[in-house]
Amino acid sequence: MDSAPRILIIDDEEVVIDSCTQILRGSGYQLATATDGTRGLKLVQEFHPDLVFVDLKMPGISGFDVLEKIHEIDATIVSVVITGFATVGSAVDAMKKGAYDFLPKPFTPDEFRMIAHRGLERRKLVLETIALRREKELLREQFASIVSHELKAPLGAVQQNLFALEFELSGALNEEQKEKMERIKVRIDELLKLINSWLRVISVDINKLKEGFQQIPITTPLSSALESMAPYAARKNIEIVTTISDGLRPVTGDSLSLAEVFVNIISNAIKYSPDNTKVSVKAEEKGSNLLVSIQDSGVGISKEDLPHIFDGFYRGKSGQAMSGHGIGLAVSRQITEAHNGSIAVESELGKGTIFVVSLPVEITKTL
Amino acid sequence: MTKRLLMIDDDPDFVAGIKSILDAAGFEVEVTYNPKDGLNALQTKQYDLLLLDIMMGRGAEGIMIARKLRKDAKLREMPVLIITGMREQIAFLFPGEPVHPRFVEVDELVEKPVEPKLLIEKVNSLIQTAEARKAGKK
Repeated sequence: MDSAPRILIIDDEEVVIDSCTQILRGSGYQLATATDGTRGLKLVQEFHPDLVFVDLKMPGISGFDVLEKIHEIDATIVSVVITGFATVGSAVDAMKKGAYDFLPKPFTPDEFRMIAHRGLERRKLVLETIALRREKELLREQFASIVSHELKAPLGAVQQNLFALEFELSGALNEEQKEKMERIKVRIDELLKLINSWLRVISVDINKLKEGFQQIPITTPLSSALESMAPYAARKNIEIVTTISDGLRPVTGDSLSLAEVFVNIISNAIKYSPDNTKVSVKAEEKGSNLLVSIQDSGVGISKEDLPHIFDGFYRGKSGQAMSGHGIGLAVSRQITEAHNGSIAVESELGKGTIFVVSLPVEITKTL
Repeated sequence: MTKRLLMIDDDPDFVAGIKSILDAAGFEVEVTYNPKDGLNALQTKQYDLLLLDIMMGRGAEGIMIARKLRKDAKLREMPVLIITGMREQIAFLFPGEPVHPRFVEVDELVEKPVEPKLLIEKVNSLIQTAEARKAGKK
């Protein structure tokens, strides 16, 4: 709508068209008119109007059909129906079908101008919303690509060279040097993981996961999470005690992202547990839900932090380094909710934390 | 016989980190830093395996190479180890497919950075599988 706004009037009554043209003359709008629906629709495609007035009662194609077709051609075009007072009911029907407003006949010039003005404002808003949405999407994509290219790639190259260096020096390093090497590797690895989870939040539409949902036993994602967490637990000499009830019914979901949920929670449990303690992982059914609980006897989460741990980018007010409670839990909650499930948490400072992931079980139809 | 590998990746620092591991493991590694030189090398010389980056240049140009390989009767047999840092983008390019969408019939995918042990394991097993298949066909 950079140039003069375009208004199209479709009405079989010449007198209506004439008076509308009269009223809008000199107000800086570009005007086109048609006396039936077929010609009107042709103009919609050629004239690209911002606003269309459509008479509901016309010979030939009905006003309703014209409305529908306009919507098909370009859903951002604002349409207003022209209708006699006696047929206000059909105006309401038209608005239910997407018309923005209605113009009751007979109308005064002021009424017409006002409705035209409002309609064009509406059109402006619609276009602005679309532009903003597109911009937001673009920003998101650009940010994702900046994060991957400018942060992740260089860091990956650093880590790769470190791997190479360590490989070449294997046997030549003493214990202290090995430890330093390990520290560097671990920290870079953590950074890479952090970038990955940012990318996850920014670039992956979690709701799209639903398209690939399948019936899976909970043990599939759970075992894969436990397996990938085993080295971290071993490093701190933490025993992961797993209790999985027999005969658990399957859940409907995406195994990879459910594994991600469990990895996030279990890795937090390990991270915030003192060395030589236990983390218990339990899977059981309760009613129509499958509960996976992960309990640690770690540092715990303070009462004031507890409501915020799923917020994303939250780092905790209690001053602790809570890098793990940042994005991981936010993503975990999103994933769980995409599975129609929920995550609950209970914690006490100094005593430990328990997370319970609850997922609806597949109800088999054997009665 | 020494195995000859070709690596196509536009990040020289990353390439150095991979190449030195494979050099030390006794492979002969050639490198090209863009898809064009890579394709050129593939068409003029023989390799036992290709190490392929996906995101190069203006986008996923590595996929273009993979697609060309797939159509080439001779090159189709060559094993490909895809090394990429772009798990998310692969998911974007192939929505709904598993993380590894199998670009070529004989490929595997690992994520950057790659641990030396895993790298050497994958390279060896891909070459062995390819050779076994070749021997079986004769």
